[in-house]
Amino acid sequence: MVDSSLLDAEEYRRLCDYLYRHTGMAFTEARRYFVERRVEDRMIATGSSSFASYFARLRTNLQGELESLINASTVNETYFYREDHQFACLTSNLLQERLRMKPRGETMRIWSVPCSTGEEPYSIAIWLLENWAEVDAHDIEIVGSDIDTSVLEAARAGVFGRRALMRLSRALTDKYFTPAGPEHWQIIDELRQSVRFTAANIVERAETRPHGLFDVIFCRNLLIYFDDTSRRVAAENLYESLAPGGYICLGHAESMSRISSLFEVCRFADAIVYRRQPEAPHG
Amino acid sequence: MADRKMRILVVDDANLVRLYYRQILEEAGFEVEEALNGIEALERLLVSPPDALIVDINMPLMDGVTFLGALRRQALPLSSIPTLVTSTESKAADIEAARVAGANFYSAKPVGREDLARTMAMFCGVPQ
Repeated sequence: MVDSSLLDAEEYRRLCDYLYRHTGMAFTEARRYFVERRVEDRMIATGSSSFASYFARLRTNLQGELESLINASTVNETYFYREDHQFACLTSNLLQERLRMKPRGETMRIWSVPCSTGEEPYSIAIWLLENWAEVDAHDIEIVGSDIDTSVLEAARAGVFGRRALMRLSRALTDKYFTPAGPEHWQIIDELRQSVRFTAANIVERAETRPHGLFDVIFCRNLLIYFDDTSRRVAAENLYESLAPGGYICLGHAESMSRISSLFEVCRFADAIVYRRQPEAPHG
Repeated sequence: MADRKMRILVVDDANLVRLYYRQILEEAGFEVEEALNGIEALERLLVSPPDALIVDINMPLMDGVTFLGALRRQALPLSSIPTLVTSTESKAADIEAARVAGANFYSAKPVGREDLARTMAMFCGVPQ
């Protein structure tokens, strides 16, 4: 068997101890893949030839390496069309499935949480306009929520740098953005008006409940930062925020089955997503 | 040969729908204006009459059928602006109500990209 791990068990334990003492973030064995990828990125960025030399750099905090690793591991670094295979799944499968089950004419509700500075909910809007031939036939509501109110302000302003737009074609950038100063682009007004931004902490039921029921929730790369207890609470709140038969998409390194047995796993051609059981038919 | 672009007024309360139609029509060479409901559309008409209209049925404040009635009661040439009614309703009674109110054509949503552009070209007499 080939061991593809970057770190051996002892190295991983030492790294996690160190991070826990300095950040309070508890990285467990279950998050090993995630941590190793971040370490690998940082090793490449710093030109470290081995984990030993990288770890020495980290412990002496050479050129602020501790902060760089923490930022790489927590910062809600995101961009337009990130993991767009899930958006493909949205338009190929999820929306059609939801339409089959919903009363005709009812609004299709999509929730992006956490939405950070808006890249994800705006991506969903653009994706629907570009890829869903029925976009004019349904009322669609896209809501972006985050616990951090400063990112919500930025999301509403909708101004992005080159990095956030790197995965969008030139044609899409020209179509949906206008230049807003050097190296910055603002998303067009029509799209800004098409996404609603609200504050919400998903471990607080009192904050998620007023948002109502959603057909599809995107909650990507958030649960990985929680400990087991918060993760279970969050999963329960997300479940309660889904309409029966509604879907939730997680980040590619996350697994709902590991957190909660409330959801059923659904495998589609473009993505694996989770579903709240539809209500049993009456009679 | 027209020396200006033909102008279409899109009347629909959904932001995404207006944006979607705008892009299709602009790509097809039209100029596009927007209104969120019948009341706003009537105001727009008086300020600068478009060459054709696309009107949704279900809208707040003033729905599409009421708007059409008001449009057709205007003086010429305003009252004769060709109008495509678009709606998620596709029952015979819905189509009949739009026809009676003065629709020139009725398309059930979703309206295909090409159909939308072609219908507007036909309404405006644009050779293709």
